Amino acid sequence: MPIYVDVSRCVGCRSCEVACQRVHSVTGHIRVGIQDDLASVPLVCHHCQEPTCAMACYSGALIHEGERTSFDLNKCTGCGLCTLACPFGIIHVQKVAQKCDLCSGREAPACVTTCPAQALSMMTYEEATTRLRSLAAAVVVRGGRA
Amino acid sequence: MPRSVPTICPYCGAGCGFYVNVEKGRATNIEYMADHPASEGALCSKANASLEVLYHPDRLLHPVKRSGDQLTRISWDEALEAAARGLAGTLRRFGPDAIGILSSSKCSNEENYLIQKLARLLGTRNVDNCARLCHAPSVVGLNRSLGAAGMTNPFADLANSRCIFVIGSNLAENHPVMSRWIHKARSKGAIVIVADPRRTPTSWMADHFLQLRPGTDVALINAMASVAIEQGLIDRQFLDLWTCGYQELKSSVKDCTPSWAEGITGVPAEDIVSAAQAYAASPASSILYSMGITQHTTGTDNVQALANLALICGQIGREGTGLLPLRGQNNVQGACDMGALAEFYPGYRRADDPSSIEHFRQAWSASDLPVGRGLTATEMIDAAADGRIRAMYIVGEDPVNSEPHGGHTITALESLDLLVVQDIFMTATASHADLVLPAAAWAEKEGTYTSTERRVQWSCRAVDPPGEARTDLQIVCSLGKRLGLPLDYPDASAVLAEINRLVPAYQGITRDRLGPGGLIWPCPSVNHPGTPILHSSGFKTADGRATLLPVHYRPPAEKPSERFPFTLTTGRIALHHNAGSMTRRSPSLMQRAPNLFVEINPADAARLQIEDGDDVEVSTARGRTRAAARTTGRVSRGVVFMPFHFPGTNILTPDARDSQAGIPEFKVAACNISRSD
Amino acid sequence: MIALDASRCLGCAACSNVCPNAFITLEQGEERTIRFNRCSEECHLCVEFCPAKALSLVPETEETSITFPLVKCPSCKACYATRPMLDRVLSAVPSHLQIDAYGTGWVEICPSCRQDLERDRLSRQVIQRRCRIEMR
Repeated sequence: MPIYVDVSRCVGCRSCEVACQRVHSVTGHIRVGIQDDLASVPLVCHHCQEPTCAMACYSGALIHEGERTSFDLNKCTGCGLCTLACPFGIIHVQKVAQKCDLCSGREAPACVTTCPAQALSMMTYEEATTRLRSLAAAVVVRGGRA
Repeated sequence: MPRSVPTICPYCGAGCGFYVNVEKGRATNIEYMADHPASEGALCSKANASLEVLYHPDRLLHPVKRSGDQLTRISWDEALEAAARGLAGTLRRFGPDAIGILSSSKCSNEENYLIQKLARLLGTRNVDNCARLCHAPSVVGLNRSLGAAGMTNPFADLANSRCIFVIGSNLAENHPVMSRWIHKARSKGAIVIVADPRRTPTSWMADHFLQLRPGTDVALINAMASVAIEQGLIDRQFLDLWTCGYQELKSSVKDCTPSWAEGITGVPAEDIVSAAQAYAASPASSILYSMGITQHTTGTDNVQALANLALICGQIGREGTGLLPLRGQNNVQGACDMGALAEFYPGYRRADDPSSIEHFRQAWSASDLPVGRGLTATEMIDAAADGRIRAMYIVGEDPVNSEPHGGHTITALESLDLLVVQDIFMTATASHADLVLPAAAWAEKEGTYTSTERRVQWSCRAVDPPGEARTDLQIVCSLGKRLGLPLDYPDASAVLAEINRLVPAYQGITRDRLGPGGLIWPCPSVNHPGTPILHSSGFKTADGRATLLPVHYRPPAEKPSERFPFTLTTGRIALHHNAGSMTRRSPSLMQRAPNLFVEINPADAARLQIEDGDDVEVSTARGRTRAAARTTGRVSRGVVFMPFHFPGTNILTPDARDSQAGIPEFKVAACNISRSD
Repeated sequence: MIALDASRCLGCAACSNVCPNAFITLEQGEERTIRFNRCSEECHLCVEFCPAKALSLVPETEETSITFPLVKCPSCKACYATRPMLDRVLSAVPSHLQIDAYGTGWVEICPSCRQDLERDRLSRQVIQRRCRIEMR
């Protein structure tokens, strides 16, 4: 299940970055950017339904499995093709590819649990679509205020 | 097999809990506490990085003595003997008023209780903590208006609020977990008003954003009160039942029209009107505030103006309402509750009231206790400078970095006969000390901490302190013993038992009742469930009524001048905490926020030919500091902002103080800024 | 010794990355140069990990090197990839995925600018709304 980002909730505190770095020890896989001093956007692997990174990966380190793109560290050569094949520029290479593994082994990814503002949540592709629709409806209910 | 030990976060006053995983006596990682009532498992960046501090190579491992520039390792026996001899000598030669003791809002309730007890048994009135630098006006102002100082409603109750008014608080960065509760209210339709001189991430959550000029809060709040009165949005029934002084208040704000306030605050009159309507007319409105309200020469006035607004609108004492001061340190609420304050004994018993002195004299079996208000933290520094104070014992505070006008603080501390500093790192203050005592950090000791919600929680000991470091409780007890004082407690539980007996609000908060989530004071008996919402049936005043105390707008102490044309305001950022002795030693935080910066409006920057990232010099009448320029629309023209986590900022800040609460005006200074090449 | 088939090499430098002995070195600026120095270990990792099957181990050959001009990002001008690597991505990704929902051919933009675009898109609505509050 991928991580859904609600930009309207993010306050740019960067807890997710530090939590991710803590859990994955080398470097984090999520990055928060401030946009025009008016919003902050955490960028993290979307676990695309049609993952172009996995299509470009020749070593079999990146594989699409159900609702996630999993990463096998032992197979990665650090060639960087995935970096060039990610439409969002999210995967980067530091010796090996640095990519969200949804914190396998934990109940929920560390960034999702730690996020003080609940800007990050776990959702299926279907839930994320439904949520976007209901958010739009809520704005209408609030008379245009989001 | 790793153990998971529940602890309370050592950073801000939100009181989030987390587990420390321990393997073979070493803390290996942290784990979230999903069922925590304040945070629901969430943690900010600082808490996520907290173990980096625990095992930092800079940790103090043994007592140190300074002679000249020479630091010598000494034994605990020598250190305690030297500290006791020095304090006793000062006492003998100059009397108790020549001793000043700073307790720590980072220490547990038990430790704060013991430190103030040590001070008062020694006979000195001069005991204080850094609440003086953050929420002293809340303690004074709320006690006066409402009869109790503290957040009136817990975080979770914000979700019941229909209108949330945030003023002078960048909670999104400084108490990030608060944004969770604000979002919960918003998603149920609540309106959010944010008033701040800066466009901060907190303002991103706002439906109404009021960008006022620094130090003009009273004008804004009074104008909102005036609108509420004019438009009949006040709660008559509540006013009649629970308050006194309405007529005086009404006439005092009569002339505070929105257009008058616009002239002072710079906030358009119609924005003031719509914010006032939203706040006053909603069925449940709450006010959140922080140091943007308190750190002013008008700090107490600001707090009282807010209390007035809440009272006339009847927005207090119910679900979703209230006044919520967000406190900065993990135990600043507790340090105040425990009486580590110049004007209060434990439980806010007034130091100038003979009956409270008698109460504690008997309880402590003391022959004599000092009467009257002592010197505040800031006044102690002045007194050290002019020789009235000759010896200071500073526990877990770094006044060199945290007090205003830093140069003055260093001179003052250097002129002392004896300075004993107890800390976990060699802070800027400790480097001026004659004796440095190594203390244990949060996960290395046990005890209770009181969060800003008034939530008293037990934090467990996860690991042993490094080297020869000892818990503050142990150190204070052994120092007391050497001074011949009856301070003999085996552990924190024993001290808590005494607190239970002597502080009525803590009476029912016994060790065996403190499970997950703790208890919220007042909790007057062992069967009492705690009191999440204050003032739900009247106020803790003699007649049960709150007092409306008119306040009038006064400008800040410093006005921009030809020499210093900008207004400098200070605050915190998400990745650092207060004086930074911990966060500046945390690699994953430093990697993201490595240096001191100054925010300046792009239009001002262009005029001064300053580009983003340029090295600039900021100067005030007190000193100068270099910082990296950040050109940003977050600040208005004429205003610059600097975080105070790095040495440098408080060299600039003024020592002008609020006359009632003694807090310095950290939030407004006249300054100049120029390229430093 | 390492032999290189220059017509196959993508210039990805996976070989340099996996080489345990730093026999294969990388220099990078406006161009990327990979140098295959004398190899005495013959551990085979570079051969195994080469995505283009461009390497082989042979008993005797010259030390060799290969240089690729780097493709410049049209937006930020950063040199971010070799042409053969981008071509490899283009051949691996079906054409309907090479254009994003906004019609942008993202392969020819550097990853850092892709991030900027993504942030901009994700925040645009939120920022517009917050600007309206500012204006009031």
